[in-house]
Amino acid sequence: MALGILLALMGGAFVCLQNTFNANVKKQVSVWSTTALVLLLGFLASLLAGLAFEGGSLFQFHAQPWFWFSGILGVGVVACVTQGVQILGPSRAISLIMVSQIFFGLMWDTLGWFGLEKVAFTWQSLLGVLLISGGVLLFQLGPKVEQHHALKRKTVEVSDSVKG
Amino acid sequence: MKGIFFALAGGFFLTFQSVANARISEGIGTWQAATMTQFTGFVLALLIVLILRDRSYQNLSQVSPLYASGGMLAAIVLYSNMTAVHRMGVTLTIGIFLIAQLIAAVMIDSKGWFDMAKQKIGRMQIVGLLLMVAGVIILKW
Repeated sequence: MALGILLALMGGAFVCLQNTFNANVKKQVSVWSTTALVLLLGFLASLLAGLAFEGGSLFQFHAQPWFWFSGILGVGVVACVTQGVQILGPSRAISLIMVSQIFFGLMWDTLGWFGLEKVAFTWQSLLGVLLISGGVLLFQLGPKVEQHHALKRKTVEVSDSVKG
Repeated sequence: MKGIFFALAGGFFLTFQSVANARISEGIGTWQAATMTQFTGFVLALLIVLILRDRSYQNLSQVSPLYASGGMLAAIVLYSNMTAVHRMGVTLTIGIFLIAQLIAAVMIDSKGWFDMAKQKIGRMQIVGLLLMVAGVIILKW
C-alpha cells in the first residue's frame, strides 16, 4: 500500500509537470501535432526504459488483439478534454473532468469491468469520493468565486463613492 | 451542455485508460504495456495530423527543448499509474494522483515556474486540497 501511495504521488506530480510542458508546446503547435510528439517521445522513453530493465525479453509477449487498440483511448482523452476546455474554459472543464474521473473509478472498482479486481462498494468509499470531488470543485472554482465577490465589492465601493 | 458532455467523457476515457493499461501490463508486463500503448496512440495521432494536413509542427523549432521533451515523462507516469492501480485499485490511485497533480500545480503557479503566469494561492484552494486528503483517508480506512 505504502509503495502504491508513493508511486501515485510521484505519478501525479509528473502528470502536472507534463501538462505544464505540453501547454508551452501548444502555444506554438496545434493540439494534434503536440499529442503526436508527446506520444512519440513517451513511446521512445518507455522503449528505452524497457530495454534497460529487461533487455531483449521486452519483445517476448503474447498480446491479446485488443491490446493493439489501446491507443484509441488516448485519442479519446485528447479530443474530449480539448473540446471541453474550449467550450467551458480550463477551470470549469478540468474540475468536471477530475470529478468524472474519480466517479468512474469508483464505478469501475465496484463493477470490476474488464477483469479488474473487484473492490466491494461501501458507503464509506462513496463518502470519500464525494469529499474528493468537493475538494476538486473548491480548488478549481474557488478562486473564481472569490474574484467575483471582490469585483462585486469594488463595484459597490465605486458606486458608493460616485453617490458620495 | 455539449461542453459538460465532453468533460465527463474526458474523465471517462482517462479512467478507462488507467484500467486498460493496468490490464495490459498484467498480461504482458509493465514496460511492454507502456511501450505498446504509447506506440499505438502515436500512430493514431500521426494519422490525425496527416488527415488534417496539420503543418504546425514546423513551429516546433521555436519551442524550448525542455518543454518539447515533456512527452518522455510519460514513462514515469505510466509505470507509477499501472503499479499503483495493481496495488490499491483505481479509485484510490486516481484520488492520490489528483491530489499530487493539484499540489504540483499550486507550486508551479505560485512561483510562476516554467513560463506559467504567476498566481496567488487562494484560501479556497488550500481548503479544497485538505478536503481531498480527507476524502482519500476515508476511502482508504
